Amino acid sequence: MYSEINRYARRVLRILLVAMAVCGAGYPEVTLEIRDHLFIPSELVVPANTKVKLVVYNRDPTPEEFESYELNREKVIVGGQRAIIFIGPLAPGEYLFFGEFNPKTAQGKVIAR
Amino acid sequence: MLLSSVIIVLREVLEAAMLLCILLAMSRFMKLRMRWFYISLAAGVAGAVAYGNHLAAISDLFDGAGQELLDAGLQIAIYLLLLAILPLMIINHHRGSYRPALLQCAMLAAVALAVLREGAEIYVYLSAFRYQPQLFSGVLTGALLGVGIGFSIGALCYYLLLGLPRRYTLLATCVLLTLVGAGMCAQAAQMLIQVDWLPAQAPLWDTSALLPEESLPGQLLYALLSYEASPTPIEVAFYSVSLALMVLLLGITHYACRPSCEELSRARAKQA
Repeated sequence: MYSEINRYARRVLRILLVAMAVCGAGYPEVTLEIRDHLFIPSELVVPANTKVKLVVYNRDPTPEEFESYELNREKVIVGGQRAIIFIGPLAPGEYLFFGEFNPKTAQGKVIAR
Repeated sequence: MLLSSVIIVLREVLEAAMLLCILLAMSRFMKLRMRWFYISLAAGVAGAVAYGNHLAAISDLFDGAGQELLDAGLQIAIYLLLLAILPLMIINHHRGSYRPALLQCAMLAAVALAVLREGAEIYVYLSAFRYQPQLFSGVLTGALLGVGIGFSIGALCYYLLLGLPRRYTLLATCVLLTLVGAGMCAQAAQMLIQVDWLPAQAPLWDTSALLPEESLPGQLLYALLSYEASPTPIEVAFYSVSLALMVLLLGITHYACRPSCEELSRARAKQA
């Protein structure tokens, strides 16, 4: 009886994992933090020619706008919030991004290899 | 801090100010009442504050895609309103007063939505300085300068449109707003790509070496016509289809409404 439930649970788990991979969880994920109006790390290395899921945590109490002319992305991230931004597929190269609300300090680049 | 706040506010104000001033010039041109302008500004600002205050909750909707979906929705809504406004303007121009209340309501809604969209970002930006009161006065000065410059450029556009010979005013407005509307659809597509609701693709071309988006002319072109240096095929398709749809609709309206030769000769006979 117990082993049957176990087998069943495992099968459900496997189906769930496959479904998650199909539903976009399969993109490589890169994490970025905003702290004291700085991007940490300021250089992100991502695989070239692949869509990447960029997860940005704003650890400051103030809002910031993630902006990049080269990646064609802009998104306001309220203080303390987590944001998801899909970037790419990118040709190998460097792509600058900055925080529009604090452009002097909040700067960084994505390096596609 | 002062300079960056001027730039941020100016960028946002310029987009809304262009639409507002073009529509304002047209209501003057068509001798519509101008009071709608205050109502839509007030509605837009109220909406912007509400949106700004709830941005965190809105962003979290739809697995974190809420902000982009709302933004894309607003842009498409403004395009659809323009799709009604421009033909109504042509009918009004050729046939005299035709449903002026409907035209005014559509203009009111379009301006309010544009102000809401751009105003929310300014509001969120300014609200950050609650935590840094020593910087607030500088930022506020910068913001006021940005608003001033933005509306001056809008006013320039307003007087340029009204200063044109009468027979070109409507044509110039239609061309400008068709381009503005198509640009909004392309921006909406970009928002949907950002949250993976539309597939991402490699850019179709890249003109950033010729005219960088961050340069002053690039920024102006972005504000007016949504200039994008490296658009993907989907964005180009959104731009082309919305442009073609508008041109087709305007062509049909113009063709159906233009005064026939018979009417013209009758009018001439009346004058003589």
